[in-house]
Amino acid sequence: MKKDKNLDELFRDKLLNYEQEPPAYILDHVLAGVAGARRNRKIVFWRIAGVAAALLLAFIAGWQINSRDGQPGKPAVIVSQQKTPEISTAAKPEIAANESGNQPGNLQSEIVNKPGRVNLQLAEVANENQISKSRTESSTSNSKSEQIASANESLIVAKNEESALLKPVKSLFRLISSGSQNVATNLHEIKKVTPQTEQTDKTIDQQIMEQNRQVMMAENQTKGKSRWLVGAQVSPEYNVSRSSHSQVYASNMLNSSPNPVDVGGGISVEYKKGKRWSLQSGIYYSGMGQSSGNSNSNSAKNFTLAGADRGSEYFNTNATIDASNSKMMMNSTAGVIEFKGIPSGIVLGTNLEDKTLASNAVVVSDARFIQNFEYIEIPLYLRYTLIDSKFDVEMLGGFSSNVLVGNQTFMESSAGKSLIGSTKDMESMSYSGTLGVGLKYGLSKRIYLNVEPRVKYYLNSLNRNSAVTYKPYTIGVFTGLSYEF
Amino acid sequence: MEDYKPIISDCIDGSRKAQSMLYHHFAPKMFGVCLRYAKDATEAEDNLQDGFIKVFANLKNFRHDGSLEGWIRRIMINVSLEKLRKQHLLYPVEDVAVYDSVNFSDDVIAKIAADDLMKIIQQLPPRYRMVFNLYVIEGFSHQEIAKEMSITQGTSKSNLARAREILKKKIQENFSELVGQNNYTA
Repeated sequence: MKKDKNLDELFRDKLLNYEQEPPAYILDHVLAGVAGARRNRKIVFWRIAGVAAALLLAFIAGWQINSRDGQPGKPAVIVSQQKTPEISTAAKPEIAANESGNQPGNLQSEIVNKPGRVNLQLAEVANENQISKSRTESSTSNSKSEQIASANESLIVAKNEESALLKPVKSLFRLISSGSQNVATNLHEIKKVTPQTEQTDKTIDQQIMEQNRQVMMAENQTKGKSRWLVGAQVSPEYNVSRSSHSQVYASNMLNSSPNPVDVGGGISVEYKKGKRWSLQSGIYYSGMGQSSGNSNSNSAKNFTLAGADRGSEYFNTNATIDASNSKMMMNSTAGVIEFKGIPSGIVLGTNLEDKTLASNAVVVSDARFIQNFEYIEIPLYLRYTLIDSKFDVEMLGGFSSNVLVGNQTFMESSAGKSLIGSTKDMESMSYSGTLGVGLKYGLSKRIYLNVEPRVKYYLNSLNRNSAVTYKPYTIGVFTGLSYEF
Repeated sequence: MEDYKPIISDCIDGSRKAQSMLYHHFAPKMFGVCLRYAKDATEAEDNLQDGFIKVFANLKNFRHDGSLEGWIRRIMINVSLEKLRKQHLLYPVEDVAVYDSVNFSDDVIAKIAADDLMKIIQQLPPRYRMVFNLYVIEGFSHQEIAKEMSITQGTSKSNLARAREILKKKIQENFSELVGQNNYTA
């Protein structure tokens, strides 16, 4: 031990401050390299700007297309219906020959009998069904052909709807299967290369080194190819209301303002192919809401008949009374609030101001109405890694499908808070676009801390009432952990 | 050159004159460092070049509370480590021979010139050379080496022991006349 220390000291004494003049040309290379690095930084900046611009353009294009469509999904169905007769009659004989053993009726019953099967299989079966139907059509008499064509049309419409929804899922499935096959093949090859007989002859040290080398090679191969990340995030969400209304609707509308902060969050799954690009999906919960109260913009009404103590509680917005089912309605920026009944704590006066409006009633209350909407969001984001180091910086952009799962309206007054109804005509499915910047810090080799400021805006109006266009923005900072495997 | 602030500032601004001055001041010592971590002079030159490009690119991050020489030296070591990682040379599969223990007097090494010791170190397998340099010359602990090289502490200790044995063997082979004058047992 002492001998080793002496040896170490002798080496250190001789080599710690060892100096040697390097060749002169190295300085020229260094200076050229420094100048090149400066140029590269500029190129990187423009590359980042280019990617950002591309994402932004895709985002705006999607928005524009969606806003033109109004109700997403329907135009695709119309197009496929127009094409249906061509597809049906143009069924090729060789395709029909391949499917000779299939009976359309059997296939349909197979689909019905196995509801739990993967959607992908369902789409494929629907496709086979379509071909078989075409074959059947060509072999049957002309009198039956019309009936089959109409049945076929409805089948293809259903199939096209499924295909449009399944497209991203299918592509993701293809990526998963190819990625996992590659990794499995690589590991299998490494196993095959290891000669087991030689290992027995090696020293323990050799075996450890060999194992280390294999693990390192396997890790490197896996890193270069595909990786998965699962994570969970939570975010405070700030909603910015963006709405427009018809003149008639707006003339009798409550004064609304968005909730200061709502909460969102969920579970994400990310598939990373290569170093830069990745595809993310998952399932998120998103809360959103607004508070509506008496409008102070309308001063035309005369409240001189009202008592001095309640004069300030007279709503400028009238309520509409539906006498047939004892319902009351009021206009808000998000849509018409539909009361289950006349809430306690509200005083209604009918025909007080304008006797021509028989169904209108003046509301007297100190209440505010809080509309809460809850969505389950299924996103599909494309992510690009701008800086790949210990502290990653990523850009993300994409679209989400949002399913409305909660629609409640509460009344808050001096008497307390109570559930009084919901907002009418809210779309059960809506679509949104998202842009964001992801900051990722590696806590360990596999666990990452994520902080992601994101802006989300709704592409279609959340309310289908033709007098209301309600497309709020949401700004959130998603924070959470993700695990890579 | 005690106060490096003005020259660092000029280097950050892109002054080629300042960059040349800083390079000339530290290059001989840093070339010595690179030679120790490389297998030959060509690899050392590459590392020195890459190291100085990194130095100038990151000078704005240098905090003046530590030694500039130490900071530059650390960059040179990191460049060598990175190169080893990229070349997958951290696992010395090329050297698996078992060496017999060799002993000789410390005077033998004292008599060997630094240039010759450098050549012997360069003949070590890459990972042994890295562990030996980090532990013996730079004064890293096995824990620090394990972290830097993504190996276990046990592997680091084993590599160091093996490096010492190889060095002794090489000294015995190359300087037999010196070893013969001293107490030598094999």
